[in-house]
Amino acid sequence: MSDQTHIEHDLAPGEEEQHSVGERIVGYVVGLGLALLLTATSFFIAGTDLVWQPSIPVALIVLAIAQMGVHLVFFLHITTGPDNTNNVLALAFGLLVVFLVVGGTVWIMAHLNQNMPPMDQFIRMHS
Amino acid sequence: MLGKLDWSAIPFDQPIPLIAGGVVLVAILAVLIWVVVKGHLSYLWHEWITSVDHKRIGVMYILLASVMLLRGGSDAIMMRVQQAIAYQSQGYLPPEHYNQIFSAHGTIMIFFVAMPFVIGLMNLVVPLQLGVRDVAFPTLNSVGFWLTATGALLVNLSLVIGEFARTGWLAFPPLSELSYSPGVGVDYYAWSLQISGVGTLVAGINLVTTVLKLRTKGMNYLRMPMFCWTTLASNLLIVAAFPILTATLAMLLLDRYLGFHFFTNEAGGNVMMFMNLIWAWGHPEVYILVLPAFGIFSEVVSTFSGKALFGYRSMVLATMAICVISFMVWLHHFFTMGAGPDVNAIFGIASMIIAVPTGVKIYNWLFTMYGGRIRFATPMLWAVGFMVTFIIGGLTGVLVAVPPADFMLHNSMFLVAHFHNVIIGGVLFGAFAGFEYWFPKAFGFRLDERWGKRAFWFTFLGFYITFVPLYVAGMLGMTRRLQHYDVAAWRPWMIVAAIGMAVLSIGVICQIMQLVVSIRNREALRDRTGDPWDGRSLEWATSSPPPVFNFAFHPDVRGEDAYWDMKIAAQQQSLEHEVPEYHDIEMPRNSPTGFVCAFFAAIMGFALIWHIWWMVILGGIGAFATFVVFAWRDHDEYVIPAAEVAAIDRANLEERRNLVSMAGAI
Repeated sequence: MSDQTHIEHDLAPGEEEQHSVGERIVGYVVGLGLALLLTATSFFIAGTDLVWQPSIPVALIVLAIAQMGVHLVFFLHITTGPDNTNNVLALAFGLLVVFLVVGGTVWIMAHLNQNMPPMDQFIRMHS
Repeated sequence: MLGKLDWSAIPFDQPIPLIAGGVVLVAILAVLIWVVVKGHLSYLWHEWITSVDHKRIGVMYILLASVMLLRGGSDAIMMRVQQAIAYQSQGYLPPEHYNQIFSAHGTIMIFFVAMPFVIGLMNLVVPLQLGVRDVAFPTLNSVGFWLTATGALLVNLSLVIGEFARTGWLAFPPLSELSYSPGVGVDYYAWSLQISGVGTLVAGINLVTTVLKLRTKGMNYLRMPMFCWTTLASNLLIVAAFPILTATLAMLLLDRYLGFHFFTNEAGGNVMMFMNLIWAWGHPEVYILVLPAFGIFSEVVSTFSGKALFGYRSMVLATMAICVISFMVWLHHFFTMGAGPDVNAIFGIASMIIAVPTGVKIYNWLFTMYGGRIRFATPMLWAVGFMVTFIIGGLTGVLVAVPPADFMLHNSMFLVAHFHNVIIGGVLFGAFAGFEYWFPKAFGFRLDERWGKRAFWFTFLGFYITFVPLYVAGMLGMTRRLQHYDVAAWRPWMIVAAIGMAVLSIGVICQIMQLVVSIRNREALRDRTGDPWDGRSLEWATSSPPPVFNFAFHPDVRGEDAYWDMKIAAQQQSLEHEVPEYHDIEMPRNSPTGFVCAFFAAIMGFALIWHIWWMVILGGIGAFATFVVFAWRDHDEYVIPAAEVAAIDRANLEERRNLVSMAGAI
């Protein structure tokens, strides 16, 4: 369907702007390098005693989010370009749904025993 | 060698499934023999089974849904008869059979009737409404359809080989765990949904991409017909929600196959997590079904009122609001699970809020009709019947969204009546409206109006006679899924409901008669113009049935109601167009990928259910090999030469001009 007409900057699948092979390889290699670096740092931080211990979980979360960012930019090609509005919106919708489902699940599951008698008192009463 | 499969899997001692299975088998064989003897096999293979044309795939989806509607409907008749006679007696269905029937009824009606029906209509219509030549991924479309059909095949296979789940349509653990359901029933359920779920997911991805990426010139978002908007919202929900179903069923399967403990009673499993996850999918699912129906009604109401849709932008906003809020209400399916007042109150309020955009839509349809010149053709009858019925269903829905009321009504017949009220009154009426409305576009002739109206009235009245008694029975304290009961006060209502089921069945027979009569009279009912209803959107701008390439030229859209504007413009200017210059058109080649892939998936699913491990590996390798072969294809498009395009398009234009000039002469 090569004569597909385009709306503004929105392109049909497979018709995105073609970068040269070299450019693309550089992009992927940089992405791979960053991803490996972040992974290695995570493993290093988890096992080290060089940093203040309670900061380790926070550091791991930060590294994990950075890892997601690297994947989005270098492998999934999320950019701020005009042809990327759909992708960014899709990402936002996905994040919203994940937030609602995961957050909602945690909240619901934490409140499931609301109508139960407090178990510790219960045990104390009967012992 | 054959895992758990042996001769004891065939239910020789149970006459009902055996005879039913036998009749179906004979019917299928008869059709196959007829196809082979008459020499239609080649036509069927080249034109339908391997077709990647979105219109043909849409038709096959709808055919699958219609056949499965008869299966699910037979289950419904059996249940209503059982409850009508099982007062202080066992009825005619033993409990283990009755339990399979209500589980199969729910599973089939949602996954293999409602889903394929709406996906079929979206497939058929959306590319035409957008003014494009196919969906974004034509071969994937075919794969999606055939995987859905595979799921349906496995569910029906359970009728004669083994058994189906006895757990209800969502297979709640711990009942669905190995310790309480050691048979293959739950495995049939889970694997058929896993396989058809993949099909649904690829259909969702395909349609989202189609709406976002393939629109004709000038068709920006706020010029899209309402049905395209609801398609977008519904498929966004598919893409977001179906992975949850897949993951949840995968965890259940891990419990059953590999001794995991996600949802078991012992070893730290939590059954409540299953309820939570399955409904996190299940609630968006009901909007996946009903949003396309809303789109169909928007098209129908606007066309048959001869007016543009009232409040188009508020309709878009309401659709997208429903799309997001549908992910915030799932707890209302398990208010009684014990989450306490804070959680219940928030989800109860969210459930009431989601009724607001739906109310906006109802008012928009009413105002579209207001002051319009309304034609009560069959699709419009379904639309008006929907509005009345759906409002009642919506009101009982808001009632059960109040947690204290839900504690009384949970799992009662009132609930059963409520969700049938919205699913039949919303989704099924919508599917029938769309079927009547777009049938001429798909096949080139209209459906018989007389039989159509009979079908509507019998279905409409039959629905009320069946389900109003269930509301009453629920108020009287009757719970759902009862194989027999001893309360005298329920009896009369069950008998009335069974009579209503008979009236509903007459409606279905009328629907079949309508098809038979229309096919017989197809020359008289022929639609030569491509625009039988005086339509407003682009699907009516091409011939009926449309050529394989849909449009010789990509239409140039200048506003909402694109085709209506074109007609107005054509009337104001002269009818003579300058002779356009035709170009070659490239179209995707047909591919057996979908069928072959589904063939191996069916083998794999069957083998997984019966623990035939060598066959699982065989099926898996086959499906993967099919994918690899497809990925290595050399040419995937063929060219329709300009001369052929010109010949087809000129014939169509000629018909249209004749008609317009005839209308002018009158």
